[in-house]
Amino acid sequence: MKKIRSNSIEHSTPLLQWVSEGQIEQIHLATLEVLERTGVKVDHPEALQLLKDAGCIVNENRVRIPSWLVDECIRLAPSKIVVANRKGERVMPLEKNRTYFGTGSDLPYTIDLETGKRRRSTKKDVELACRVMDYLPNYDFVMSYAIASDQSAKVSDLHQFEAMVSNTVKPMIVTAHDEINMRAQLEMAALVVGGKEELRKNPFLILYSEPISPLVHTNDGLGKMFACFEYGVPVVYTPGILSGATTPVTKAGTIVLMNAEALAGVVMAQLKQKGAPIIIGGGATPMDMRTTATLYGSPETMMNYAIMTQLSQFYGIPNFTEAGCVNAPVPDAQAGMEAGTGILLAQLMGANLVHDVGYLEGGKTGSLTFLTMCNDFMDNARYMGKGTRIDEETMAVDVIDEIGPGGNFVSHAHTYDHFREEIWAPKQFNRSFWEIWEEQGSKTAEDHAGDLAKEIVATHTAELLEESIRQGLNDIISETENVKATMKRERKARS
Amino acid sequence: MSDFNSLAELVIKGDYNGAQTLTQRMVGNGNDPLEIINQGLMAGMNVVGVRFKAGDMYVPEVMMSAKAMSKGIEVVKPLIADKDMPTAGKVLVGTVKGDLHDIGKNLVLMMMESAGFEIIDLGVDIDAEAFVKAVKEHKPQVIGMSALLTTTMLSMKDTIEALKEEGLRDSVKIIVGGAPISQGFADEIGADGYAPDAAAATDLCKRLIA
Repeated sequence: MKKIRSNSIEHSTPLLQWVSEGQIEQIHLATLEVLERTGVKVDHPEALQLLKDAGCIVNENRVRIPSWLVDECIRLAPSKIVVANRKGERVMPLEKNRTYFGTGSDLPYTIDLETGKRRRSTKKDVELACRVMDYLPNYDFVMSYAIASDQSAKVSDLHQFEAMVSNTVKPMIVTAHDEINMRAQLEMAALVVGGKEELRKNPFLILYSEPISPLVHTNDGLGKMFACFEYGVPVVYTPGILSGATTPVTKAGTIVLMNAEALAGVVMAQLKQKGAPIIIGGGATPMDMRTTATLYGSPETMMNYAIMTQLSQFYGIPNFTEAGCVNAPVPDAQAGMEAGTGILLAQLMGANLVHDVGYLEGGKTGSLTFLTMCNDFMDNARYMGKGTRIDEETMAVDVIDEIGPGGNFVSHAHTYDHFREEIWAPKQFNRSFWEIWEEQGSKTAEDHAGDLAKEIVATHTAELLEESIRQGLNDIISETENVKATMKRERKARS
Repeated sequence: MSDFNSLAELVIKGDYNGAQTLTQRMVGNGNDPLEIINQGLMAGMNVVGVRFKAGDMYVPEVMMSAKAMSKGIEVVKPLIADKDMPTAGKVLVGTVKGDLHDIGKNLVLMMMESAGFEIIDLGVDIDAEAFVKAVKEHKPQVIGMSALLTTTMLSMKDTIEALKEEGLRDSVKIIVGGAPISQGFADEIGADGYAPDAAAATDLCKRLIA
């Protein structure tokens, strides 16, 4: 008969709680006070009207949102948003405690994989990064990584999307210059999956849009978001801030302000369309008070994200956060520490969309080498996140008895059966003894990652899009470029 | 310690109430207002600049020192003719068209103000025409343009072109900054300078005006 343990609790994964439930409620109530007392600025006419009709106090573009309305809209926002890959497979359900990693978007500079020199990013960098992430198993979604700065600036976002969708099947988060370009991307996305209905059923892209801290909601930011809801495409609506500059310097004050901005977004989203798929969170980065740099790889950001993840779990709204983004300019020991701790914490907290993995220099410089290195860091975090298995088999009392004092376990079947799951094996870390390491070329972890990145670039391509679709994507880009050029001419003629 | 040294010390400490009170007392005692600025308030601020550069002082402390300096200046300003007011130069700043992010620009202007520059802040979303109009009106020595978004940084070039068309290009120095901006981009669009952060922007202005 199987032995049962009564009155016992098991944790299948580690439990990490940064603050108490009472403290989360305290932050929530403070946030409601900010929205009701200070309110927000809204520069989008339709959103303003919606807020007014729903019972907000509106003075010109300043909107004070009553707490009951915030609470109601939190309830309306979906607690589960399923994101598919390009093939329509529902691979990324955003729901409580499920963690997905991906990189960020729009890095102006890239450290060239071949020359090792830092230069402006190009469309080719977007393509290569997406191919590398398509291959590396711990990247669950992609963002553009680089800016296609060699393309026409008016439609560089469309070029980035074209490069992304052509070079990976994984789900993606996109950025857009404005509503016109967002709509163009939505048309491109519909073309890729065979129509708007297919896109609505299984969206494979998410928009990243943002308010500007403190408490400003722009016409472009909201316009892009509303356009996506028409297509059933989910939206990350989160601020990027500087604690001590655009928010209070205190961590709690930063979180309250960011939460107010996110929840104002939730309210506008739900008023626009009941059940609109919105994702909250943001980049809670302090300003370095010596250099004014944005501190991505700092302990404060990770501490903030731990609480913000708890908040989103409290609301039952999926969240967006970041890790693996460092202030180190090159993939050195500092970069490893900064990336590793953040990635581990995000995994243990159960944050949903963890972006910016593989960013250097505070989100200004990309490197395929570092992007590749981070695959191992995420693997490590996921390994720890799985937790420790405790049962008869793993406590191995029978095996200990069998071997007895003075024996060894290395040739035992128990070791053979379990070593792969009980001891993590990284792909690129050095673990050899010194002499052997020297014999194999004295390569650093960075060298190994660079080698792997080069190999992926040389050998891996994602499943290709059909030629007719590729042509269609380029047509939409050209059309949009023409529309933009006409608009500019008309503006000039008017002025 | 002389009153001048005490005043400088209060500025360094960021004690704005103290700086204001002492300045009032010094004026009452018949000290020359210009000397109060140069040997007291600015002398303190110069030390702050050096310490900030060395990493011994932080941005919020510099801001508080700047506040102490301006509290003192408020007291003496009515006693000095406008043309005699010491200034490091006049700088016009704005965040370019389409861009509503102003924290970078604000940091720059606060640092410049604390270094004794007279600042005209145009705000955000400023197009070429607005820059041109402001240049005509205020006749600054330097224009600073800021952008966070890669889509908006290109309008910096529009402003430079517009200034050329109006024949104003040679009357001002143009500096640019913001996360996506580089020296290479500044050269490309024909700007006179680029600075990676607020402190460097202040130094750049000093160099360009000197």
